[in-house]
Amino acid sequence: MTQSPTASIRPGRSARAGRLGATGLGFALPVSLFLLVAFDVPVLMMFGWALTSAKGMFAPFIEFFTRPVYLKVILNTLRIAAIATVACAVLGYVLAYWLRSLSGTARLVALTLVVLPFWVSILVRSYAWIVVLGNNGVVNRGLMDLGLASEPVAFLYNDLGVVIGTTNLLLPFLVLPLYAAMIRIDGRILQAAETLGASRWTIFRRVFFPLTVPALAAGMVLVFILTLGFYVTPAILGGGRVPMVANMLDMLINRLPRWELASAISIILLILTVLLHLLYVRLSRQAGN
Amino acid sequence: MTEPGHLPRLLLTLAGITVLLFLCLPIVIVVPMSFSSASSLEFPPPGFSLRWYQAFFGDGRWLVAAGYSIVVALIASTLALLIGSIAAYGLVRGSFRGRALVESNVMAPLIVPQIVTAVGLYIYFAKLGLLGTLFGLIVGHTVLAIPYVVLVMTVAIRSFDLRIEQVALTLGASWPTMFRRVLLPNLAPSAGAAWIFAFVISFDEVVVTIFLAGGIETIPKRMFNELVLQVNPTITAIATLLIGFSIITVGALALLMRSTGTVRKALG
Repeated sequence: MTQSPTASIRPGRSARAGRLGATGLGFALPVSLFLLVAFDVPVLMMFGWALTSAKGMFAPFIEFFTRPVYLKVILNTLRIAAIATVACAVLGYVLAYWLRSLSGTARLVALTLVVLPFWVSILVRSYAWIVVLGNNGVVNRGLMDLGLASEPVAFLYNDLGVVIGTTNLLLPFLVLPLYAAMIRIDGRILQAAETLGASRWTIFRRVFFPLTVPALAAGMVLVFILTLGFYVTPAILGGGRVPMVANMLDMLINRLPRWELASAISIILLILTVLLHLLYVRLSRQAGN
Repeated sequence: MTEPGHLPRLLLTLAGITVLLFLCLPIVIVVPMSFSSASSLEFPPPGFSLRWYQAFFGDGRWLVAAGYSIVVALIASTLALLIGSIAAYGLVRGSFRGRALVESNVMAPLIVPQIVTAVGLYIYFAKLGLLGTLFGLIVGHTVLAIPYVVLVMTVAIRSFDLRIEQVALTLGASWPTMFRRVLLPNLAPSAGAAWIFAFVISFDEVVVTIFLAGGIETIPKRMFNELVLQVNPTITAIATLLIGFSIITVGALALLMRSTGTVRKALG
């Protein structure tokens, strides 16, 4: 991010008025107290639940790691997240590269269309895929009218449906930063490569692509993190047949209730997310330079 | 890069448009479906009708849900705007020990998966007897909206020249006068944008609501429950109303942001 010009002009000692100094803490106090009571304590309490269960200190964690049922759900979640991440990367790269080649109004319109879905409820966007991919949906009718399929293809209520829905929802998260990184690439570097006799493909492979890798990697980590905690899309497009961590947590809290186990799984998810987030911050810093 | 040749250029355009179409397909499909006369999800719709809008506006339960959604979103976004903006000002203009800690704490609800927040709040509220209360729901939504408010307001305050505040104070204005006459008018568009952001976050929220709301139904919660059970075309009408609402919001936001230049600065 570029600094605003004023940020680099430091006022002298005489111009201290307006700077808050330590009073700043006072301004941040209401929000901090609110979050302490309504967010920090609840999250910390999960640690308490998971670590002090009646069955012993790490019992819920041990149960989680030794019962194949839970591990299977975690592995399934990781698998779906990985597939969706790769799909987002491929589609996102194409889209960002195309956006970069546009100019003027076309670029503005295309960018608006990329951002617009952000503002439409996840629920609505997941639901729309039922209309598109259902047995009587647009895609299946098209396939059958064209004679490419004799009976409806099962797109929904399986892994495929969840991956399609997730990819669609998370694509903008990858495209926008990637596009920003592509725009920042200095055209003179590419010209220099061309002058030196590199072919178009070589320029892309050896110069352009490597410069976009940090932004691409950052976007992929972000998509991966977001998929890990997805609840709505697997529930709607998976139809309960694609268990992911969030849906398992729903079951452990609202149906069974197994609070200590839900807490332990939440903590594992939380730690995994925080670690991946640190990686994301590092990568996006690299991409920004 | 050098201009690609005609064929690669054509392929790129084709691929780009295909991906863009994939991205926007859900929105493009839902809107015409909502005006369909068929009771199944046929596309293209066999005929035009407003029956699904009638079904929505004629169903008391949907209207009650809409009422709850609006009340919760109004209170949560206003609360988040108030404490979030004040905090953003302190974070930008102040320098104190533990600033980084406060900053990451404020951003934490954005990073922690919503499902984890939902589980944590569920157990906590169960202990406090706040499950299924409007109060608990509002608290949960406020937590989720705070990071967005702080993000928008931090950018806005950072790009507002500190020296303008200093001039007002040097010319003899008290801090409250400076706030009222200088800060407030200048930051109002950004605050409006932050408020809209927070409102939409709360209005569209599903996961935390499902866990905390108990018997209270908001629009997204009711939609989710209906979707999991059956395919009901009334949802296309609600979806279209929500899309219309989103487009109006984005338009308002674009106008607000243009007047402050926040978007350009936020995108760096």
